[in-house]
Amino acid sequence: MKRFFLIILFFFTACGLVFGAGSPEQGEPDWLAMNFDQIERAARSTKVSFYMWGGSSIINKWIDTYVTGELKMRYEIELERVPMDASVFVNKLLTEKQAGKERGTIDLLWINGENYKNAYEASLLFGPITPLLPNYGKYVDEKTVEFDFGFPVNGYEVPYGRAQFVFEYDSARIKDPPDTFEKLLLWVKQNPGRFTYPQPPDFTGSAFIRQVFYALTGGHEQYLTGWDKELFQRKSRLLWDYFNEMKPYLWQKGKTYPKDVASLDTLFARGEVDFNMTYHQAHAQNAILTGQYKESVRTIVMRDGSIYNTHFTAIPFNAPNKPGALVTANFLLSFEAQYSKNDPANWGDFTVLDLNRLSREERELFKTLDLGQATLPVDVLAQHAVPEIRAEYLEALEKGWEEHVLRQ
Amino acid sequence: MIKRVLLILLIVAVFLFPLIVLVFYTFAPGWSYPDLIPKILHTGGLQYVWSQHEKILRSLLTSFVYSLLVILCTFLISIFPASVFARSDFRAKKFLESLALAPALVPAITFSVGIHYLFIKTGISDSLLGVVLVLSIFSYPYMLRSLTSGFLAFGVEYEVCARNLGAGILQRLFMVDLPLLLPSIVAGSTVVFLVAFSEYFLVFLIGGGSVESYTGYLFPFLNSSDRAVASLLTLIFMVIPILLFFLVDETVTLVYRKRGML
Amino acid sequence: MRDRAVVYLKLSPLLLPFAVIFSTGIFLAFLQSLGYFLPIPVQGGLFAAYRSLFRSLWFYQDFAFTLYCAFCSALLSVSVGTALAYGIWRLPIGLQKIGVLTKIPLILPHIAVAFIVLMFFSKTGYISSFLFQAGIIESAEEFPPILFGGRGWGIILAYVYKEVPFVVLLVSSVLKKFEYARILTAQMLGASRLTVFFRVVFPFLTPVVNTSFIILFLYSFGAFDIPFLLGESHPGMLSIQVYNLYFKRDLMNRPSAMAILVVMFLFSLVFIYLYSRLAARLEREGRKL
Repeated sequence: MKRFFLIILFFFTACGLVFGAGSPEQGEPDWLAMNFDQIERAARSTKVSFYMWGGSSIINKWIDTYVTGELKMRYEIELERVPMDASVFVNKLLTEKQAGKERGTIDLLWINGENYKNAYEASLLFGPITPLLPNYGKYVDEKTVEFDFGFPVNGYEVPYGRAQFVFEYDSARIKDPPDTFEKLLLWVKQNPGRFTYPQPPDFTGSAFIRQVFYALTGGHEQYLTGWDKELFQRKSRLLWDYFNEMKPYLWQKGKTYPKDVASLDTLFARGEVDFNMTYHQAHAQNAILTGQYKESVRTIVMRDGSIYNTHFTAIPFNAPNKPGALVTANFLLSFEAQYSKNDPANWGDFTVLDLNRLSREERELFKTLDLGQATLPVDVLAQHAVPEIRAEYLEALEKGWEEHVLRQ
Repeated sequence: MIKRVLLILLIVAVFLFPLIVLVFYTFAPGWSYPDLIPKILHTGGLQYVWSQHEKILRSLLTSFVYSLLVILCTFLISIFPASVFARSDFRAKKFLESLALAPALVPAITFSVGIHYLFIKTGISDSLLGVVLVLSIFSYPYMLRSLTSGFLAFGVEYEVCARNLGAGILQRLFMVDLPLLLPSIVAGSTVVFLVAFSEYFLVFLIGGGSVESYTGYLFPFLNSSDRAVASLLTLIFMVIPILLFFLVDETVTLVYRKRGML
Repeated sequence: MRDRAVVYLKLSPLLLPFAVIFSTGIFLAFLQSLGYFLPIPVQGGLFAAYRSLFRSLWFYQDFAFTLYCAFCSALLSVSVGTALAYGIWRLPIGLQKIGVLTKIPLILPHIAVAFIVLMFFSKTGYISSFLFQAGIIESAEEFPPILFGGRGWGIILAYVYKEVPFVVLLVSSVLKKFEYARILTAQMLGASRLTVFFRVVFPFLTPVVNTSFIILFLYSFGAFDIPFLLGESHPGMLSIQVYNLYFKRDLMNRPSAMAILVVMFLFSLVFIYLYSRLAARLEREGRKL
């Protein structure tokens, strides 16, 4: 009797495994061959699902209020923001591609760095799309957005904004914050339990260890030429020594790290640690404006260099509403959207537009935009800006940190 | 006497007090250490939640709807097997009964990742149907156990009588079994509803972001430093089950009174 | 013969979804751990994922940590829950209504419970503020690292908060059928309060206590929601490792993620079997008393 039931069970399980070969092919117009007017017409009154990292309520608010409102008004597009980490949706698309899901649920993605590289290499993206967008041709200097973490963009992602890595601290508590990584290590030792960083592979934590890597090993230029495993092995030893030396003086004696930047945000806002770090250079100003931070919070960059990066939007291969996604990506490149985004009351993310291609009034507006007392002036940021390096280093750093620092 | 007072105080402190703190947080996002009572009140959290009320209501509704569907689905899965487990006897019964409970015992993550792949292949991932199915698989044992003990509570005589009087299967089901099972159905539904309504990970995995669950909306805020919104959303969350149970309790009492069973 | 057919038919609404969904899910996890059904081909041979897993120290550390958290939270929940249910049951009828408050964590989602624990027990949390105001500690640093301290207390606390009401519910429903007269008899015979509880009441409760323990242990062992918010870095909970390997790393790690799932599944089966045998034997001996 038992055996009989087991056999039935196995039979049905086998059926389940063999089940379905995916949805049938759906004919779709070739959007890449159309002009923008046709695309815009097709996008009218449609719904666009925008999948993006949801860990910043500030950014979420801007998307949910300004962007959603503008898209509705201009194109009757209904934008839906879905919070999902980039690595999670890349994995989701990978699984969908392998399962043969031709019609997915994601229309537009917010992506960059190694996630972009993985998505591109696995043919998960629709494109090349930048030639289709009028705002791209009008306002963007192609040379500035040719590479994403050292990897060629090739038109498969659309520039969205520019971010730079900064540290936040309370100027009322700390009068003389450390401005080099050496000084930081000293400070941490003198103030045990008051500093920590998000656990890589969190995006911000990963960027933090990358910056220390540049600072300790003589700068970023040596890594721009390509992935050199031997070079990495040699140089990264200095990095692990630095972090292991810092470890016992960290928050929770380095036994646990905040699992993402949002958790570190909370620790800093609650006064449990004295430094926050973020890839969102106007975040401090924004948090002051919404009552989450004290007025005395300020930002600082390390003299050894602060990483900047460009971030992008992209469209997956199986987006159900490609014209809608294209119109949205184009809108995000418009002057109005870029300006609104740059305002620290909304987000504070820098623009990717070439200011020389704007009208004089528009350029003035950008130049006179008040970034707030907590945000560093643009020229200070530019002075210390260093670029991202190839994604292979990023992954090696993350794995190495886990092996040599976390698991020690 | 003192012991009693202490016990009551303990219960209030441990179970009620956190809710009060949540209410405080709703009005004070900047409330931080070491203040025991927030010094500055800020309505930013309330304003934000109000501005998003459409989306919030939509996700509450979605969660509510799929939780109800899960109740229906688990009921359909369990009703006949429950009668078999309670009434019949056959050699494989004990084995099957234990097997049937497995999805609720074994950690859900062990089978849901595999299910995710299956659902993608069959096209039901990222859909309400997929979410309802996966939640049902994982919560039906509670309904099954409830219904089984319900069947055990009243003897098979009622059904036999009805059959002798000529009632068909469906008639027996609706006029004899269901009314007698009502308390078990309510008990099972309560558990299943709570499990489905509160679930975050499975809905996120299988729904993939297209099923707008309330827990999916709530989660990023719990992880952030925006405690006002997080607290407010948590309080809003609790309203639904409380209202629902209150309503169901009243209705059941009414029905029973009408039928003279009380 | 016809009866048997009817039985099968009646069981089919259960067996079909069970087979097609549940066992398929497990099977796919197993097959993916071997390298099949993956988006890109994986090297290393059939059991490569298992070999590398069993060779990694972190796997054993995480496994032990997960077992430890699950065991402590289940044990604490069951003990506190039973004691609480008993305490409420001994209250005069009017005051028993207060028991309703214990159901609150049942309604809260796990993620909200984790949030509450964060609010209260972090170094700058509510309890810390209270101790500071009372002069017991001088700064946030002095507050013991309950959460994220490397010992999993945050996770255990959150699970206990969520699970105690569950135990209270189950134990209360069983206690309702207990004859209060027995307690009076025992007291008349001179039994102390503790003896009354352990020798008279508790043996009656053992079946429900054992059931709760199995359910809660396995739940805490494999659940994801609470460790996601309160989890430790290293060692961490297995479910979070699976999430990281499946969602946050490149595809090469999928088989490892699935291998962990298969191990967790097999462990659960073994645990259920062993614990049921143990519980049955204890109950048999208990009844002899």
